Amino acid sequence: MVTNKEGEFFNIQTIDLTKRFAKKRHRGIFGFLRRNQTNNKHSDFTVALDKVNLEIRPGELFGLLGPNGSGKTTTIKCLSTILIPDEGRAIVNGFDTQKETAMVRASLGMVVGGERTLYWKLTARDNLTYFASLYKMKRRHAKKRIEELLEILQLADRADERLEDYSSGMRQKVAIARALLHDPPILLLDEPTLGLDPGFARQIRTQIKELSERMGKTVLLTTHYMDEADQLCDRVAFINNGRIVAVDTPNRLKMRVKEKELVEVAVYSPPADIESHIRSLLPEAEVVKLIRGNENEGDPSRIKIIGGKPEQHIEVIIDILRQKNVRIGNLNVGVPTLEDVFIKLTGTKLTEDKT
Amino acid sequence: MMEGAYQQSVLRSNISIVWNEIIKNIKALLAYPAIIVFWAVFPIFWFIPFILQGEAFVGGLQSASFAQITGSGDYIPFIVIGAVLNSYVNTLLYGMGENLRREAYQGTLDYVLVAPCSKAYVLIGKAISESISSTIFAASQLTISVLLFGMNITLAVMLPVFFITALLMLGLYGMSLMLAAFSLMYKQSYDLSQTIGYIFYIFAPVRYPVESLPTWAQIFGKLIPLTYALIIIRSIMLLGTDLSAIYTEVIALIIIDIILLLGGFYLFNWMEEKTRKSGTISHH
Repeated sequence: MVTNKEGEFFNIQTIDLTKRFAKKRHRGIFGFLRRNQTNNKHSDFTVALDKVNLEIRPGELFGLLGPNGSGKTTTIKCLSTILIPDEGRAIVNGFDTQKETAMVRASLGMVVGGERTLYWKLTARDNLTYFASLYKMKRRHAKKRIEELLEILQLADRADERLEDYSSGMRQKVAIARALLHDPPILLLDEPTLGLDPGFARQIRTQIKELSERMGKTVLLTTHYMDEADQLCDRVAFINNGRIVAVDTPNRLKMRVKEKELVEVAVYSPPADIESHIRSLLPEAEVVKLIRGNENEGDPSRIKIIGGKPEQHIEVIIDILRQKNVRIGNLNVGVPTLEDVFIKLTGTKLTEDKT
Repeated sequence: MMEGAYQQSVLRSNISIVWNEIIKNIKALLAYPAIIVFWAVFPIFWFIPFILQGEAFVGGLQSASFAQITGSGDYIPFIVIGAVLNSYVNTLLYGMGENLRREAYQGTLDYVLVAPCSKAYVLIGKAISESISSTIFAASQLTISVLLFGMNITLAVMLPVFFITALLMLGLYGMSLMLAAFSLMYKQSYDLSQTIGYIFYIFAPVRYPVESLPTWAQIFGKLIPLTYALIIIRSIMLLGTDLSAIYTEVIALIIIDIILLLGGFYLFNWMEEKTRKSGTISHH
């Protein structure tokens, strides 16, 4: 294990972890002739991780929260040795990911890419048996462990059916079972509830909580669902454009937005310029953000205003929306979410617009 | 991690990796059972053009001029041996790269590569399972050759034949590892494996005796493991030659195998490292 200056132990630690990806440019058939035209070397790279520093304690359920493309999956891939960082170090269970690769790999289980990452033509039992062999598990132990996991994850009844006949949620459970096969102390879970229906997502969340609380696993969970991070995680790190923006408990993070600072209006069919229009009329507001919802499915768009004086904002906002003929669903003042904090800190939305 | 769950010998765990890789691939294959019927039946149709072509050219299934070059006038078994061994070339060269590409496409490659085991055994398992189709094909063709063309197959003949086939496969594993490495890096190995397959087909004596090639081509052909395997197996099966009489070809085949295997593993590990740096390992 690794300690900091205060002698605190960490199961996962990253020190200035940096990863850049070369940009792929389609220059045409004779593109190689134009290859060296640019003088700026940095323009040929995308910085996926920019000096990321994380310290995760044993048994902690730690959330890495950020929008798509913020660097969550790259962090997981660097920790799991799928990727080699360009600069900095990552230490997992006391082992350096670049020098002690085999020990790092044996120390962790991961769920990255979800249900797609299994053999759909094989049964759940066959999938688990195969991966147990890659982890050099004794046949007898593997068999026992597989039965145990199939029971825990409520898959025992359908363990001998091919995964192509499973639902997405069931396949995700098999992916989790695979991560737990060799009983690793550390779990890396990348968007484990993505695309699942609410019932299965709830089941998976309950199981993640149990992994941390009852089994003592250290869990690094990436998600862009703020409720999920809020509900599950002991601590959360915000990541945006490859940089860690803030690290704290969900409650303390939420305290960074004062309750009376926040106004949220649910609206239908807002015009494209509504965000800039409100911003021009409320210069004292720190953040004005329009988050488009899927209105066809009853999920309205939301306008969030953080900072300034909400009681004055409400009047202005209602006037603007009336002028623009925008239907208002409801209007709330206060009760910030992690998303509000993220917007306040980065000016960026956590979730994609749904339209 | 679970106490006692890992306390088994290295050899045993590595055999288990190879075995489970084979079983996984066979089970995935059996999800499409029609293909096995195709492999078993296809060789019957495969023979028909050769018989018709041969009869039209030389007026029967024996050729005196062919006997002068090869020592046996019966050209059908000659071609059968060429086709059987060449089918191993095709499936192994094409199969391993495609198998890895399939894993990347399915999204399983990351999980195979980050497992704390030597990938060499996973790849050996893949190579063996890719050989299964060729083995079914070969068994079918040899059975037909025995039944229709009176090819002499006894245990005494087949044991050295199996040995040489195994040696050929080792060399092909080396080459397929190189192609798998290219597949990992460039996400495409089909065209390269097809090109190498054609080079083998032309410069190794698959369809004609090696003496039919010009001298420079014969020299080039000596770099190909298939050339030695064909010469040795035909000598054993068609001319009744003892293995000890052709030991120089056997040694040459072993040397080429070692070079190809070492080169294959080196290239695969190098390319794997390179793709982990570039971040393209799971691209497809």
